[in-house]
Amino acid sequence: MNPNPVTIVMIEDDAGHARLIEKNVRRAGVCNEIKHFADGTSALAHLQAADVRAAGPVLILLDLNLPDMSGVDILAKLKADEKMRRSPVIVLTTTDDKTEIQRCYDLGANVYITKPVDYENFANAIRQLGLFLSVMQVPETE
Amino acid sequence: MAAQHSLAESASVGLLGRRGQWPLIIGFLVLMAVGIATVWLVITSRAQNQWVAHTFEVQTRTTSLLNALQQAETAQRGYLLVGGDIYARTYRSGRDATLRNLAEIRKLTTDNAEQQRRIDAVEPIVAARLADLEQIMTFAESDRLIDAVARVRSNEGKRLMDDVRRRLGAILRVEARLLDQRSTRARNSAYALLGVTLVGLSLIVLIAFLAYRSLRRYTQAIVAASDELKVLNTDLEGRVAERTADLTAANEEIQRYAYIVSHDLRAPLVNIMGFTSELKAVRSDIAAFRQAAIEKAPELDTKESRILIEEDLAEAIGFISTSTAKMDRLINAILKISREGGRVLTPERVDMTALAENAAQAIHHQAGDATITVEPLPSLVSDRLALEQIFGNLIENAVKYLDASRPGEIVVSGIERGGVSEYAVADNGRGIAPGDHERVFDLFRRSGTQDRPGEGIGLAHVRALVRRLGGTITVTSEFGVGSTFTVTLPKTLLSEGGRG
Repeated sequence: MNPNPVTIVMIEDDAGHARLIEKNVRRAGVCNEIKHFADGTSALAHLQAADVRAAGPVLILLDLNLPDMSGVDILAKLKADEKMRRSPVIVLTTTDDKTEIQRCYDLGANVYITKPVDYENFANAIRQLGLFLSVMQVPETE
Repeated sequence: MAAQHSLAESASVGLLGRRGQWPLIIGFLVLMAVGIATVWLVITSRAQNQWVAHTFEVQTRTTSLLNALQQAETAQRGYLLVGGDIYARTYRSGRDATLRNLAEIRKLTTDNAEQQRRIDAVEPIVAARLADLEQIMTFAESDRLIDAVARVRSNEGKRLMDDVRRRLGAILRVEARLLDQRSTRARNSAYALLGVTLVGLSLIVLIAFLAYRSLRRYTQAIVAASDELKVLNTDLEGRVAERTADLTAANEEIQRYAYIVSHDLRAPLVNIMGFTSELKAVRSDIAAFRQAAIEKAPELDTKESRILIEEDLAEAIGFISTSTAKMDRLINAILKISREGGRVLTPERVDMTALAENAAQAIHHQAGDATITVEPLPSLVSDRLALEQIFGNLIENAVKYLDASRPGEIVVSGIERGGVSEYAVADNGRGIAPGDHERVFDLFRRSGTQDRPGEGIGLAHVRALVRRLGGTITVTSEFGVGSTFTVTLPKTLLSEGGRG
């Protein structure tokens, strides 16, 4: 198993969505620490703090529709950061617009998941995400 | 506002210009009257001058008559004195001239009864004098000089001559008086002619001036109006461009709005669905727990708790699930249509017959024993994807709403009509009630027995697409007999860039 458990940073303004994501991630057997931020500003402040940067890559679950800024902007900032760019980003949003998906991948998003309203599919997606997380090798920092 | 005002102004300028032509028309009428008067005066004047000349002629003839008679008398005396042919000839020419002049005078004065009477009176005297002279000449020629001289001595000739002189003098006096009158009249006519001509001349100058001024004003008005029109035209183009931009902006706004609304509606829906699922799982857990509890303590089993957990809770959760699922489909429909509006159309040549046949082929498995006939269709230059969706939807609808009591027949036909092509998808299905002909095109609205799956999106989507392609869609239908959907599309779709 991963000797250095990765922290999951979830940036999601909808408390319900956050709870559903967390529940399903846990249900999938992933027990990494999940830090939840409801807006982009506080999330960025956390991610850009010196100790977090020193601790190495984190896994970011990013919602695109945030009250204070667009998730795409956060993605662009993260991928511009020398250290943070190694953190895998999973975009989780209601938008299934092709151009937006393309844009996220262009900016360096690793996975793009549309939140389906059909709960079974949603739960499956999250569980698969959990499996993905459990086998994912986050690159070690030097 | 300003442009409209000036437009009204230029219209009134035109009216004023037309009213300004009236003096000109009156001027031309006056000029015409002057012309007629001039012609009349010229004719009158000419006649009067002829009368004057006529009077002169009468006078000349009268004088000539007297002279000729005197010539005859003088020559006759010369002959008496010296004889010789020369006097005889002179006498005869004088006598002939006398008669000629007399006849001439009579002819000239036929218009004047008074003068005719005078001529009547003088004629026998002249004749008598001529007869007297002739008698004397006859005596002289036959060497009877004594008889001739006796005749002269009788003084009969002198008496006749005096009488003739007196009478011719009277005729001359009358003619002189007439000449006076006629000259005056002729002079007056000449003056009148001169006056009228001068008036006409000045009128011509005046009218020429008025015409020039009126023409100038009119031309200026036309030039001003044309300038204004040019400005208005430019303005209009600008305004059309402005409105088009406004419309495009409004359209984009609506699409963005639909997009945002549907997204924001989806977010809470994810929660409702998600937590309903959680509730469902919890209910199962509770049911299992209850079952376990009852097995251990059967006295806990009540009918009430069973109904609450097994029926009421399950029913409530079921309704929430189906409702949210439906809501999700509706939101997706709005999203789909709003996205369709934002898609850039790419016109290309489309073989409509092949397109319709493909659409029919795709639906074939649903059609059962129904026949779908695609007649040769006119091709189009338009957006292929939109056309596929339009005809796919229409054919699918036709198949979907066939009447089970008779074998389905669906015919796709098309004709060219001017700059447009008209396509018809006709079926012998269940038809649409007259009141629903417009309603079927509305979003989420359906008609007839609701025994087929669907959200009432297809035709709304089709109409939105047809409108985007610059066309129209109509339906003619009889309930229980069949429906015909007619799509009219421009033969060539202008590309998006070409519109702006």
